Amino acid sequence: MRRQLRSRRAPAFPYGYRYRLDDQDEVNQNYLADEEEEAEEEARVMVVPDLEEEEEEKREEEESQAQETGSAWWRKWQIVNEYLWDPEKRMSLARTGQSWSLILVIYFFFYASLAAVITLCMYTLFLTISPYMPTFTEKVKPPGVMIRPFAHSLNFNFNVSEPDTWQHYVISLNGFLQGYNDSLQEEMNVDCPPGQYFIQDGDEDEDKKACQFKRSFLKNCSGLEDPTFGYSTGQPCILLKMNRIVGFRPEPGDPVKVSCKVQRGDENDIRSINYYPESASFDLRYYPYYGKLTHVNYTSPLVAMHFTDVVKNQAVPVQCQLKGKGIINDVINDRFVGRVIFTLNIET
Amino acid sequence: MVGGFSILLWIGAVLCWIAYGIQYSNDKSSSLDSVYLGSVLALVVVLTGVFAYYQEAKSTNIMASFRQMIPQQALVIRDSEKKTVPADQLVVGDIVEIKAGDQIPADIRLLSAQGCKVDNSSLTGESEPQPRSCEFTHDNALETKNISFFSTTCLEGTATGMVINTGDRTVIGQIASLASGVQNSKTPIGIEIEHFVHIVAGVAVSIGILFFIITVSMKYYVLDSIIFLIGIIVANVPEGLLATVTVALSLTAKRMAKKNCLVKGLEAVETLGSTSIICSDKTGTLTQNRMTVAHLWFDNQVFVADTSEDHSNQVFDQSSATWASLSKIITLCNRAEFRPGQESVPIMKKAVVGDASETALLKFSEVILGNVMEIRKRNRKVAEIPFNSTNKFQLSIHETDDPSDKRFLVVMKGAPERVLEKCSTIMVNGQEQPLDRSTAKAFHTAYMELGGLGERVLGFCHLYLPADEFPATYSFDVDTMNFPTSNFCFVGLLSMIDPPRSTVPDAVTKCRSAGIKIIMVTGDHPITAKAIAKSVGIISANSETVEDIAKRLNVAVAQVNKRDATAAVVTGMELKDMSPAQLDEILANHSEIVFARTSPQQKLIIVEGCQRQDAIVAVTGDGVNDSPALKKADIGIAMGITGSDAAKSAADMVLLDDNFASIVTGVEEGRLIFDNLKKTIAYTLTKNIAELCPFLIYIIAGLPLPIGTITILFIDLGTDIIPSIALAYEKAESDIMNRKPRHKRKDRLVNEPLAVYSYLHIGLMQALGAFVVYFTVYAQEGFRPSTLLNLRVEWEKGYVNDLEDSYGQEWTSYQRKYLEWTGYTAFFVGIMIQQIADLIIRKTRRNSIFQQGLFRNKVIWVGIASQVIIALILSYGLGSIVALNFTMLRPQYWFVAVPHAVLIWVYDEMRKLAIRLYPGSWWDKNMYY
Repeated sequence: MRRQLRSRRAPAFPYGYRYRLDDQDEVNQNYLADEEEEAEEEARVMVVPDLEEEEEEKREEEESQAQETGSAWWRKWQIVNEYLWDPEKRMSLARTGQSWSLILVIYFFFYASLAAVITLCMYTLFLTISPYMPTFTEKVKPPGVMIRPFAHSLNFNFNVSEPDTWQHYVISLNGFLQGYNDSLQEEMNVDCPPGQYFIQDGDEDEDKKACQFKRSFLKNCSGLEDPTFGYSTGQPCILLKMNRIVGFRPEPGDPVKVSCKVQRGDENDIRSINYYPESASFDLRYYPYYGKLTHVNYTSPLVAMHFTDVVKNQAVPVQCQLKGKGIINDVINDRFVGRVIFTLNIET
Repeated sequence: MVGGFSILLWIGAVLCWIAYGIQYSNDKSSSLDSVYLGSVLALVVVLTGVFAYYQEAKSTNIMASFRQMIPQQALVIRDSEKKTVPADQLVVGDIVEIKAGDQIPADIRLLSAQGCKVDNSSLTGESEPQPRSCEFTHDNALETKNISFFSTTCLEGTATGMVINTGDRTVIGQIASLASGVQNSKTPIGIEIEHFVHIVAGVAVSIGILFFIITVSMKYYVLDSIIFLIGIIVANVPEGLLATVTVALSLTAKRMAKKNCLVKGLEAVETLGSTSIICSDKTGTLTQNRMTVAHLWFDNQVFVADTSEDHSNQVFDQSSATWASLSKIITLCNRAEFRPGQESVPIMKKAVVGDASETALLKFSEVILGNVMEIRKRNRKVAEIPFNSTNKFQLSIHETDDPSDKRFLVVMKGAPERVLEKCSTIMVNGQEQPLDRSTAKAFHTAYMELGGLGERVLGFCHLYLPADEFPATYSFDVDTMNFPTSNFCFVGLLSMIDPPRSTVPDAVTKCRSAGIKIIMVTGDHPITAKAIAKSVGIISANSETVEDIAKRLNVAVAQVNKRDATAAVVTGMELKDMSPAQLDEILANHSEIVFARTSPQQKLIIVEGCQRQDAIVAVTGDGVNDSPALKKADIGIAMGITGSDAAKSAADMVLLDDNFASIVTGVEEGRLIFDNLKKTIAYTLTKNIAELCPFLIYIIAGLPLPIGTITILFIDLGTDIIPSIALAYEKAESDIMNRKPRHKRKDRLVNEPLAVYSYLHIGLMQALGAFVVYFTVYAQEGFRPSTLLNLRVEWEKGYVNDLEDSYGQEWTSYQRKYLEWTGYTAFFVGIMIQQIADLIIRKTRRNSIFQQGLFRNKVIWVGIASQVIIALILSYGLGSIVALNFTMLRPQYWFVAVPHAVLIWVYDEMRKLAIRLYPGSWWDKNMYY
């Protein structure tokens, strides 16, 4: 009975089996196959498919596909081309010239009004912001600390006997101190009483006077006597300044002092530091700062550290901290608030 | 996890890692941001993939549970013992025993059979019982009577057979493998998403290359430019969209499952919405798949019987004495019986032993007369001749239930013309009248009329045997026919049909008004098919086929202009001779088409023909014979209750209640989700520009970076996720069931207006608004916009610890970094606030928000609340965690962007107003997405 199922007529289904009632001679209804194939298929048995023929079919399909893909690319290219510029309808990117100009006009007005809106916004913003005083200052507080000379790095490596290694420090310091020249300070700024705030009441927009900070205050580190700031003798001067903050006033009483020590290692590596001005402090008269618009000639006070006898031929990490009431110098994330760390590596 | 979106995200992830590689080789201490971004992108793909898999697996589980509902058992004789073994353990050569009610466990050749009839409907779709014997009658295995096929049912009788094929080698297995040979094409939504990905990738790459050229000409290092290029490309990747789309689709799938549409693949959820042609199987899908009495003819009148699913109101006149006689014949001349133990089951749902016609008559009489078995008991059967194809009638002899009446009653039913031959009188109004020419003509008219409705007509007649000739002790012999078989009294006709499901006509009308063409494809006879098509509205009342026109005009069929006919009935025979072009012509020119007598292969051809018309084709079906077409269709819909496993596994969707009307729900949900996905994508794309612009400005104008990568991730995968999902809950703007299905190539998910409007209009406005917040924060902290210009290089130098701001204040690098993070937070808040406006405007595409109602979709408000709460938590709760780059923002900055949000909303209302006022205008064409 198995043979019976595999008989000539049997393998036909599932194709078109329903016809057999009406039409006995109906062949398989594979619409893809042509007449010849159908005839062969009839003879095919169910369990053993005619592999050869299938392969042939496949090959044919592949060939025709290959041809199609070639022309398909060409057609695609034509479509893209036509999309870019359709000479028949005089359209580019599926729009006519008229449509394009309409779009340009509309977008011009749209963006013009957006520009107007943002201008208005910025205008109102500036109305609410004083040009003299920042609205908020707590993000710059507490003040940061920076040193001079500064050349991208906080490592001072130089060889005393090779001027090339320290010359740029000298140039940097000289440049920095130009604004502190005594003549300039005397001409521009006033000599205000020390030990107290230099408060200038009056309108916000009034120009404020600035207190003198003369280069000569820095004595041995002023570069006036020793134009190499001690670098030629292995006794480098380093200037320390506190970041300017509008309206910042140190706590009254003792002024903010600077104190340096070895950060890690032997405490005695530095041995001695001379501070100029000798008080090693920022005098109260330099505060408050009124902002650069009105306080034009404000000169930041400096404290110079003169490392006169630092250990040579080895890196000495130095930490200089501000000390005083209300001064914070131990913020974990910010190593420049109230302190500065640098290394001295002086070779002889 | 591959294809479309996922590929985009994977590429983004890889680009991120490449960028980090470049950065790392330049500077060992470079930030890990791009590594995080890449990992998050990969994580998103993986998580979404797992989620989608889980969702689809859940549906598959339900499918699997169908399969395991009835573990099939077979009674097999092995080692001279009868054993019950699971059907899947049968081997070729096993001898199995079959009895009524069994499912055939494999393809078997019958060795012996007693009155065996099988239902091949699972194979052919037709539920007509077919007799089986052990004689070889036909060359073709499918037609010969001595072979029964796997998965068909034995309706009555018993048989013994030998297994000749099992599993995939069975006929049904072959059809299933034909189905599995059909390649699954991409879902329409899959194509749309791919199109969308192309757009996004195109935009990303063109902006990237444009800025690459700009940066190179601005004398940036090439390596830096490449990193910028990668950054721009990655910034364009909508990280959250894959997750959002997946969730939105699964929400719809869930909602549809609640309405008894079980969707197997998530993407198939939308397909029904795009469907423009439904090819529906007739039996079991449009019809109830059970014979039901539809019409009666007696007293020279045609009466209509209720064919609805529960037969509840039989309204025809039951007072006539003729009806009393007819009902008696119907009740007695019937061998069908209810299976015992079904007292609590409603009549229409009771299982019956007997063929379809007899079942129909049994149920019909049970509904009208009450307890049929009781009536039969009172009218004891003394003899019967069962129906056979040579006699074409069935006869039985009964005692009457009237104790005073000692006569025997002979009742007969059968093919009307054969029954009429045996009659000499006809009963009218309870009175016997001689059967003359005019009554015979009336009979023929009624017979033709009922037959023309595609119904199966049976004639009924009876004869009271005179008591003197046939006393109570008379012994009837059915073989010698020792009783009269002529001069009967004709009582009436009764016609049966497999009636349409009551919900179908309504559903068909709804599909019609939704612009969906419904084509009936059936293996049934053309006349029946046409009748059913007419009764459900697939062929509408006033449309005609070519043949109808020819008949009306009384001309030859060939003379009729084929274009005049809106309807067409095409048989498989005709289809066989057609070229694809001819088929295309029929599909294109006729709006109402019925294909009858089609084979599974032809169903495939029809589906392919429809797909050639650029239509998205849905196929409904229940039989194994439908499964190849179900697979080929863009969406195959199988019936959950009556459907075969093969159909269910080939289908993309299963109607759990077999209700064709559920398809309408599916169409509605599909269209809604398509619209809502548009909104979701528009919503998501918008902020892409607001996130990209800062980076571009950062490169070109040298501002400190306004928003960082991690912060962007918190928008894309944090604040924006729930709102964009909430848009999936949006109600339809207008009656979506009154518009045409979308055109496959013209109505894209993401079209040019959508991209342009999102990117160049709302996106830019958002970017501006966010920049205002950014500038406000910086200006109030000391950096005015003019100072910020080209500050980037100095700003980012870690060793510059006294950078001057607009007021002469000096900032350490960490103070600047912290300010930068505040800027990120501010920009983030700016985008978030404006995204609320974006969310509200995206609720509608054409209508005003007020027409749509602000509060109808509550989920939107959940979304907005989530946005605000997440932002608050990020800023105030996690503001102290350095790695997240959020800071505590001053409360007033939260409100800076509010005017811009209002502006966005006003602008969009204006756009919608113009669209509504000037439909079809330039504005409508370019601004409606």
